[in-house]
Amino acid sequence: MRELALAGLVSIVFGLGSFYATDHFGAFSIANLVFGGGATLVALALGARRMRFVGGPHSRPVILRGVARVAGAFVIAVLLERAAVLADVHLDWTFEQRYELAPATRKALAELPGPVTAPLYKEDFDPRIRHTRTLLQTLARAGPVKVRELRIEDVPEDEDRFGIGSSNSVVLEVGSRYETVERPTEGALYEALYRLRQTRAVRTLAILRGEGEGDPNDTRELGYSGLAAALETEGYALRSVVSAALAEIPDDVDGILSIAPQRRLPDGFLAAVRRYLDRGGRLVAFLEPGVDSGIEEILADFGIEPDAGVLIDPASGAFGDRPRGLDPIAYNYESHPLTRGLNADRMTFFSGVRSFRLRKPRPGDEVRRVVLASPRSWLDPDLSVLKAHKREFDAGDARLDYYPIAVAGIYPRAGGEARIVAFGDSDFASNRYLRALYNLDLTLNAVHWALEREPEITLRPKIRDTVQFPLPVESTLETFYGVGLLVPQLLLIAGGIVWLRGRSA
Amino acid sequence: MISLRALIRKEFTTLFGAPTAYLTLTMVALVTALIFFDHLRLYNQILFVYASTTMGGFASDTIPEYINLWDSVFFPVMEALGLTLIGAVPLVTMRVFAEERSRGTDELLLTSGLTPNRIVLAKFLVTFLFVVLMMSVSFVYPATAIEGGGLGFEHLAAVFVGLTLHGIGLAAIGLACSAFTSSQLVAAVSGWAVAFVLWDFSWMSPFVSEGVATFLEEIALHPRYGAFSEGVVALENVVYFVGLALVGMALARLSFDLRRVGS
Repeated sequence: MRELALAGLVSIVFGLGSFYATDHFGAFSIANLVFGGGATLVALALGARRMRFVGGPHSRPVILRGVARVAGAFVIAVLLERAAVLADVHLDWTFEQRYELAPATRKALAELPGPVTAPLYKEDFDPRIRHTRTLLQTLARAGPVKVRELRIEDVPEDEDRFGIGSSNSVVLEVGSRYETVERPTEGALYEALYRLRQTRAVRTLAILRGEGEGDPNDTRELGYSGLAAALETEGYALRSVVSAALAEIPDDVDGILSIAPQRRLPDGFLAAVRRYLDRGGRLVAFLEPGVDSGIEEILADFGIEPDAGVLIDPASGAFGDRPRGLDPIAYNYESHPLTRGLNADRMTFFSGVRSFRLRKPRPGDEVRRVVLASPRSWLDPDLSVLKAHKREFDAGDARLDYYPIAVAGIYPRAGGEARIVAFGDSDFASNRYLRALYNLDLTLNAVHWALEREPEITLRPKIRDTVQFPLPVESTLETFYGVGLLVPQLLLIAGGIVWLRGRSA
Repeated sequence: MISLRALIRKEFTTLFGAPTAYLTLTMVALVTALIFFDHLRLYNQILFVYASTTMGGFASDTIPEYINLWDSVFFPVMEALGLTLIGAVPLVTMRVFAEERSRGTDELLLTSGLTPNRIVLAKFLVTFLFVVLMMSVSFVYPATAIEGGGLGFEHLAAVFVGLTLHGIGLAAIGLACSAFTSSQLVAAVSGWAVAFVLWDFSWMSPFVSEGVATFLEEIALHPRYGAFSEGVVALENVVYFVGLALVGMALARLSFDLRRVGS
């Protein structure tokens, strides 16, 4: 019986071993598994048969107690494991904290109209699947997501139906609606979840065009296509508005987005914007230092007066070949709904900024600072510093202060409550910088606040770079010789000494 | 009457009084160092090829996302070490009970006043400590290399915890197998066989229903310890290995009952 069991077990080891080595069942592995399984079962049956004759009535309770102990241990182990699943304790020890879901993702999950099925389409040996699997499991723990894995070749009909192009694609499906996400990251999954959450755009945003404003269709670094895509994802229908061709802001426009016009807007259009605000309109304005487009005058009428100079903030380091101070990294936020979640650790990056002075135009108006430069900042009236290269700035006798670089105001008017958000920079929302630090959150949250969508204010998933830098080979090699080989060598010497002493004893 | 502490001391002395323990430690430490260094070297080479000046340097988008330290080094190292442990751990556990049984010293132990529970506990504890020592020795080199590269320890710690727990699970299987035989060879082979069978059930998924496939994945070793290589330490995976140790101890305890009634 023992010989049979031994032969059976050895066959199982070789049968499974050859399967793991080649990843398929060949004749060798099948023959071994069939023989091994059969031999082990026969040996077990023979052993069980022998057990029938073991001991008398007094020994059976002993054996039963032992078996009950094993069963009890098994049940306890299963219960503990299930309790641990319910406790849902997961520690993310990754370098990039890649499995910590952003508040926005959690919120999008919580607000889904129904449960989501999330099939992951894969091919064998795709190394990316592990990340995606863990990410989906993280989502499943946070919300109503049912994850399953499918091999693409097993479901060719899904390939056509969902437009799956390659392995490592996820389809998020709620009812009859679905979103296909290729190369899933938390950010991509979040955007898909957000789109599934709503059925149509909930607000219309007019984007000013025609006077050198930032282009929402431009996909280059200084374009604003990223901002446009993010706004559309978060429920805004974007409508380009050529200022010269418009005498009145249409009533179905929920807000105006002005991205740094470079030329003066037509007076008629500026008057239309004033009328629009007086009847409770919403304006989000990105300005640039030294530009007078007419929007600045409107802002001044509403108690937001742009300063003439350029803000220098030496607390921030030099960025690229730009001099230190021109590109502030802001970490001072006033308590305001649109800065919810932002703090000194969640910074925003600006490039070439002007600041604001605030006043209260009418009783009942509320104009507040939102983002401040560091207290070491000052205003330089010389606009040519924006083109300066490799030089240090000197404050001289300029006043150092917390200068506001983003402000927000609420204005009760006869036609309704107007809201304005103004930024002293536009580059921070360009394709180059939108995804830097918390710029995207600040920008989108400002639009949400201005258009009275405060519940949408959140912090979104960040792009976390994987660790793709090399470990220095030379030092690694030194460590290999110094530690990697020395430790085993010492252990072997110790083992040899023990053996020699054992022999001589 | 000898105490549990004395028994643990005796087990330690026996374990480190034989060269097998040192050979196993040497083998695992050497294999870890070689596998880790080899993957690190390969990772550096691939990274430099992708980051060559003709392809845009390190800042370019030409480096595929999966060429990174975790996917190219940690995960394959962990996979290889998981299999190495399946080979190595039963070699350590094979003698723990089987040797006592073949020499008849287990009965001597029982007459010394120690209960079977304590004997099992002591032997399991010592073996688990040996596994922890084995993994600690193995991770000295990866930890030093990673620290030299200026990276955090957290992910490596997750890998270490995962492999140690995997080793403890394998030790529990090996000890349970050793407790049922007086032959060290049978103990080792049965330990390997059970570990191989429990390793991964994904090959069965085409033949069984989705529910059964999910259940099999829940009880398999590989998905459990593989999760640690992602840098995520999940309580249920830790508890899984603790549960495996618990069942292994209960099985070893059962072997004493069977001996008592003469089977």
